[in-house]
Amino acid sequence: MAIISRRARRKAAPYLMVLPALLLLAVFAYGVGSGVVQGFGVMPFLDRTEPALAYYEEALTRSDLLDSILFSLYLSAVSSVGALIGGVALSAVMTRAEASRFVRLAGIQVPIATMHALVALALICLFTGAGLFPRLLHVVGLAPDATAFPSVVGAPSGWGIIAVYLWKEIPFVAFTTLTIMMNISASYGEAASTLGASSLRTFSSVTLPLCRGPLLRAFLVVFAFAFGSYEIPFLLEPTVPKALPVLAYIEFQDPDIINRCYAMALNGIMAGICTVLCIIYYVVLQRERVPKGRP
Amino acid sequence: MTAATGQNAQLAARVRRARRGRAVARALVGVELALVALPLAIIAVWAFTDAWPWPDLWPQQLSARGIEQALSGRQNAGVQTLALSIGIAAATAVVSTAAAALACRALCHFQWRGRSAFQFAALLPFIIPSTVFAMGVQVVFLQAGLARTVPGVVLAHSIVALPYAIIIMTDITRAAGTRREDAARTLGAGTWQMLRHVTIPQLLPGILSSLSMCYIMSFSQYFLTLLVGGGKVQTFVLVLFPYLSGGDRTIACAYSLVFLVVTFAVFFVFELLLRRFGVREGDDLYD
Repeated sequence: MAIISRRARRKAAPYLMVLPALLLLAVFAYGVGSGVVQGFGVMPFLDRTEPALAYYEEALTRSDLLDSILFSLYLSAVSSVGALIGGVALSAVMTRAEASRFVRLAGIQVPIATMHALVALALICLFTGAGLFPRLLHVVGLAPDATAFPSVVGAPSGWGIIAVYLWKEIPFVAFTTLTIMMNISASYGEAASTLGASSLRTFSSVTLPLCRGPLLRAFLVVFAFAFGSYEIPFLLEPTVPKALPVLAYIEFQDPDIINRCYAMALNGIMAGICTVLCIIYYVVLQRERVPKGRP
Repeated sequence: MTAATGQNAQLAARVRRARRGRAVARALVGVELALVALPLAIIAVWAFTDAWPWPDLWPQQLSARGIEQALSGRQNAGVQTLALSIGIAAATAVVSTAAAALACRALCHFQWRGRSAFQFAALLPFIIPSTVFAMGVQVVFLQAGLARTVPGVVLAHSIVALPYAIIIMTDITRAAGTRREDAARTLGAGTWQMLRHVTIPQLLPGILSSLSMCYIMSFSQYFLTLLVGGGKVQTFVLVLFPYLSGGDRTIACAYSLVFLVVTFAVFFVFELLLRRFGVREGDDLYD
């Protein structure tokens, strides 16, 4: 009797342990799900229960909405690819320089801990008409007055938005690989270079493959974050096209509550794109786990 | 003889190359540190600026007007706002880290059905933007009476911070393994003794970095707080944000400076704690 109950307890233990996290995730799923359902025009609290595809259709055909989707994809693609390349480079350079703990704190943890919106504010201080950079240009004689320099706010290329993400996420990507790289450099790296491999060769054939998992995950996180966050595009974006989350929030706030359905359809599209990415990531990871010898 | 000299020369060349490589790397790290420092420095300078006419490179007049307003806030509620934000962030850090620590124990040391599904689900708040969650959950929270309340905000923040905590805790839980716990069990330790003397000490570095990460996540959360808190739960970021999009730049930068100081102070405390309790974990490896 006692043995059975102990076995039952042992079996139940993992489920009890994940319960708190599972509850949090359930609230998340319920929240996202209720939004997606509203995108089909289903709002039980308004006695609307007939699902319709019209809002999604319109979201994909209205030209300003489509422009927003493309603009957001562009911002997040450039930011995440840039952050990936920059992060690997930063991590490698830190490893090569044998950076001290303090340097690692200042160069990596400080940007991670700084809020995104403050970086945007700093860019505004540096690169708007009367910012520090145009002043420097003026001093060296390149800008006659405060209007000569195109402001970072509202730049159609969105370079300010991308710059904020890069400033924040390059250290984030570096953070995810730095420990691995430092360990490799201490162990394998030496072996490889004693065997005569050039440092570039060691890097591409030893270091990078070992960092693949964390890099893939970091890339995905950065992409999803840049794709779905509101603050930075709100502060720095051009009037048109608006980034997807900003547009969704404008529709969401509209006094006409039916416009919420457009907001939720946009959100549904955002969530859909991100989920597809997540599934791709998961499949890639699973495939990696398959032992190499198998046919 | 000649072969040995040749080898020596080769070795010397390799050493020289390695040294040059390290010097270049150091210079690049210096550039990166400067790029990190520049935005923070300009915010700090603007926070104390009273007048800065074009095209001067340094403000004409400095004052503490901005900092004073940032600390007193709207209707002299600046310090209260800060205290509320710190409280919310601390609660979030504890909730997420505790939930993650437990879940990671199940993930790393147990085999159970649904394990890989859970692993996938745990990543979702990472991947699905929090803006989508915020707009979707608003109605749900309104119906549940959680909207516009501090517990509601803590709950929402904890969900968004959870994947970060899970990733940090997974690494350390896996690294810690079960060997020491098994040994403690064999030596007759009870559950509480084992937790207190073995499990928690060996997870402490991870717990600390998870706490600090979740704290920062919550402290700088704007959109989610705005939607769930409905403007009634006024955190520091909510007060700060409207200044960012225009108006008085001195005030905006002063608020930002206070924000940075508070963040880094907390960060520093956690770093000290990590050093005190977790040095062996990290520094064995690469210091």
